[in-house]
Amino acid sequence: MLRRVRLIACSLAAALCLAAGHAQAAVWALKVAVLENAPPMAYRDADGRLTGFSVEVARALCDEMQAQCSFQTTVLEQLVDQLVAGEFDIAAVSLLDTPERRSRILFSQPYFRSISLWIGKPGVLPGEHGLRIAVLKGSAQESYARKQGWETVGVRTSGELAEPLIAGSAQAAIVPMNTSLNLQKNKDFQRLGLHSAVLKAPELVGNAAFGINPRRPELRRMVDAALERIKRNGVYERINTQFLPFRVL
Amino acid sequence: MAGQAVRNRYTTSQMSVLLAATFALLFTTVVALLAVDQQRVLLAAERLQQQTVPEIIRFQRLTRNLEKLRQEGERLLASGTPAGRQESLFMIMLVASHPSILEHPPSAKLARDTEAFLVDAARLASEDPATLPLRLAEWQQIVTRLNLLVDDLSVEGVNLVASDLVDMTAAMRLANYQLIGTMLLVGGFLVLTMVLLRKHLLCPLQRIDRALSSLNVDQPTPDFPEASLAEIHAVEEASKRLHSVMLSNQAALRKVELLASRDDLTGLINRRHFMDLAEAELRRAQRYNRPVAIAFADLDFFKSLNDTYGHHAGDVVLCAFAHLLSESVRQSDLVCRYGGEEFALLFPESTVDKAHLLVERFRERVADREFRLPDGARLRLTLSIGLADASHCAIEAALKRADLALYEAKRRGRNQVVVASDAC
Repeated sequence: MLRRVRLIACSLAAALCLAAGHAQAAVWALKVAVLENAPPMAYRDADGRLTGFSVEVARALCDEMQAQCSFQTTVLEQLVDQLVAGEFDIAAVSLLDTPERRSRILFSQPYFRSISLWIGKPGVLPGEHGLRIAVLKGSAQESYARKQGWETVGVRTSGELAEPLIAGSAQAAIVPMNTSLNLQKNKDFQRLGLHSAVLKAPELVGNAAFGINPRRPELRRMVDAALERIKRNGVYERINTQFLPFRVL
Repeated sequence: MAGQAVRNRYTTSQMSVLLAATFALLFTTVVALLAVDQQRVLLAAERLQQQTVPEIIRFQRLTRNLEKLRQEGERLLASGTPAGRQESLFMIMLVASHPSILEHPPSAKLARDTEAFLVDAARLASEDPATLPLRLAEWQQIVTRLNLLVDDLSVEGVNLVASDLVDMTAAMRLANYQLIGTMLLVGGFLVLTMVLLRKHLLCPLQRIDRALSSLNVDQPTPDFPEASLAEIHAVEEASKRLHSVMLSNQAALRKVELLASRDDLTGLINRRHFMDLAEAELRRAQRYNRPVAIAFADLDFFKSLNDTYGHHAGDVVLCAFAHLLSESVRQSDLVCRYGGEEFALLFPESTVDKAHLLVERFRERVADREFRLPDGARLRLTLSIGLADASHCAIEAALKRADLALYEAKRRGRNQVVVASDAC
């Protein structure tokens, strides 16, 4: 009888140890890539802390997944290569779903829906000869402009998009909707008196999603499930309100 | 039996298999129905979760954007500077071009109208700011349209939930009815089973129990109504057979008893049986203080008859004598062949004197009688009788005294009755 009790106690202890080990393993680490100087999507606040719509959605997803996420900044230009190389697990960057990207990385479910804007002097039309167009390097807007055979001026961060326009090295820009919100706040940019119009190109409109390491399809399922939960439990709506002036999904 | 219509009978195993199969079928059907209902409820709940809730959230976002349009419109109209109006127009363009608005045709149309109106108002205002207040009435119409659409969308969201809930409630209610129906059905089936068991098993068993408890040769053959179960029928038939076997055993026993108590040759009761009966008779007489007499009768010179005419002739004479003897006594008197040519007689309710008269008359009757032998010869026989009172004696003692009296009769020359004089 005593032996049996001892056996049960040992089994219980072992089970507890296993469960504890499992719980320990449940706190798992993820490397998350974010952009910098891309307000309102990703930027550093007054305290130097990374924040923004994409960053906070990524934080909420990490909380949902109970993952220990380490955020590392990068630039869009290198993002897909780094993701393919396995330097990051998740790219918390708004990526339009283009065939080029889709052939190399995995996409999460969309976390908002975007449009792209043509910004230029009134009367200046896309594709006009001698026009140089400011774009973010590595962006869908850049590859769209190149496909059209337009001359582009690339910048490394969204926050720098106003510079070539102000400096006069570019006469127009193609920017995603959220970036344009930030541009509108730039006094120097405002003085240029540029006109904005929605660019009705199918590849520049629609779902924006996070990129996922292509070797981790199970991670995509978890991210999608977490995203579905925060879309329902109000967390997503609060982040939307905090960073963007209207509902973007 | 042959006249009765042959009816189908089931064995208990057939009956139990039939009942179990019916129950299993019934239960499976009902469980399947319940499972279908449950599936309906689950589907409705899943639809609510997977489709309706996201749809409602989508409607909420859409209404927020419509309100954003209105706010920006108000801001534009209130703005005193072209830059401020431009800012609002920019926001209005973004919202009105956003897929969330475009995918909902009524919202898309209204957003287009709103944008067109505000672009126009801003253009005119940049030429002449005084035109703005003139357009407020028109703007109020657009605001009303925006507000109405927001109302519609809110109600639509609620209606989606309500419709899912109505579906779920209907499914639950149906499931509830089916559950009640199921319980009634199962209850009914159990009652039916009990009734069938009672009718075809318990009641027949009780009947069999009653019949077997009172199974007796004095009772008529047990009669059972037609049984449906083969085993019950078999037991009933067996108890009928048992009864008839009991009857035939009883008859055989009676026959054997009769054989055991009679004398083979004469048919009179034998000595053993006589002793039993006489003893009982004596006890009875002595208890009630009633007279009883006992006698021994012996054919005179019977041995020489045997020697002369043969044993067969002797037997014939003994039979004829026995017949005559049993005819001559009263119904209640006992007559037995005691052995050889000696006969014992018991006269209940008779004093020695009355018995004396009786045996004397019989003696005379024998003496007057001619016995016919098988070969046609005729002969006469005489008989000696010893009579004794048995009212106060044990049977052996009484017999002994009668025997002594018989001996005395023989000694006195035969063909006479001698009454034992001394009392016991």
